[in-house]
Amino acid sequence: MSFWFTCAGMVAVTFGSRLAGLTVRLRLPAFWLRFLHFVPIAVFAALVTPSLQGSRGEGGIRVVAAALSGVVAWRTRQLAVAIVAGMAAFWLLRLIPGQ
Amino acid sequence: MPLWLGVVPFGLAYAVIARDAGLSLVETQALSLLVFAGSAQVSAVGLFARGSSGLAVVLTTFLLNVRHVLYGMSLARRVPMTPRERLAGAFFLTDEAYGVSISRGSRAFPFVLGAELSLFITWNLATLAGALLGGVIPDPEKIGVDFVFPIAFLALLVPLLRRRADVAVAVVAGFVAWLLSKWLPGGLPVLAAGAGGALLGAALTRREPA
Repeated sequence: MSFWFTCAGMVAVTFGSRLAGLTVRLRLPAFWLRFLHFVPIAVFAALVTPSLQGSRGEGGIRVVAAALSGVVAWRTRQLAVAIVAGMAAFWLLRLIPGQ
Repeated sequence: MPLWLGVVPFGLAYAVIARDAGLSLVETQALSLLVFAGSAQVSAVGLFARGSSGLAVVLTTFLLNVRHVLYGMSLARRVPMTPRERLAGAFFLTDEAYGVSISRGSRAFPFVLGAELSLFITWNLATLAGALLGGVIPDPEKIGVDFVFPIAFLALLVPLLRRRADVAVAVVAGFVAWLLSKWLPGGLPVLAAGAGGALLGAALTRREPA
């Protein structure tokens, strides 16, 4: 049940933002325009780090594989390629005995 | 359209992550049908997986999607719409549809809605495919599917880093979230580091053009 409340809240804030822009006339101060540019950067970065560690003590492998995946993302700018490369590196590193 | 090529893997990744986070097929699809906002949906299921409260998920969604106000303002100046067209135009508005509508310079509402709907259909089909795929992965914990979380967000983050201030904000927000997550549960570290990081970025670039 709580999922559907959350879903309704997400719809409200998303549709509300989209409709507000098409309907109201206002001028945002430059500071908040710059703030909005940085929101996805800060949120995505904040989602990466807490989940990097993992729960099974594979922190080292995960950091190395994520770094490789980040380099692939930077060079190719392709989400799918970066994810496949990161997962492949993760699985290969896990095969190394003694981890 | 190269645009759809980018939407398909993003939609697949979203749905696989959502299923791994414990969402049902219907719930995974409902977010794509009703919310229809890629980065907010991926962030939301990332937060669900961390056991975040619904309020933190909604606030993070707001933080991520309030930029649509800007797209709407820009689009409304170029494309005349009736009130009913405005409702439909708003529901299906995304970064990509806005980008196409602006770059093509079209001033006709049917063109805007066509661009929006083609993305909506592609996004939902990719979600369905990913949700079905995510449901049949055996023993996701054992093969480490949860590792898709950090690398998917990293792959979304990296192309956004164009200026030095972008990198500074990413590093600070990432570090703060990691630190806070040791004491605070669920989605609060992400919300706090997200809002704080964006404030820092806006303050850092005070002397640069936006």
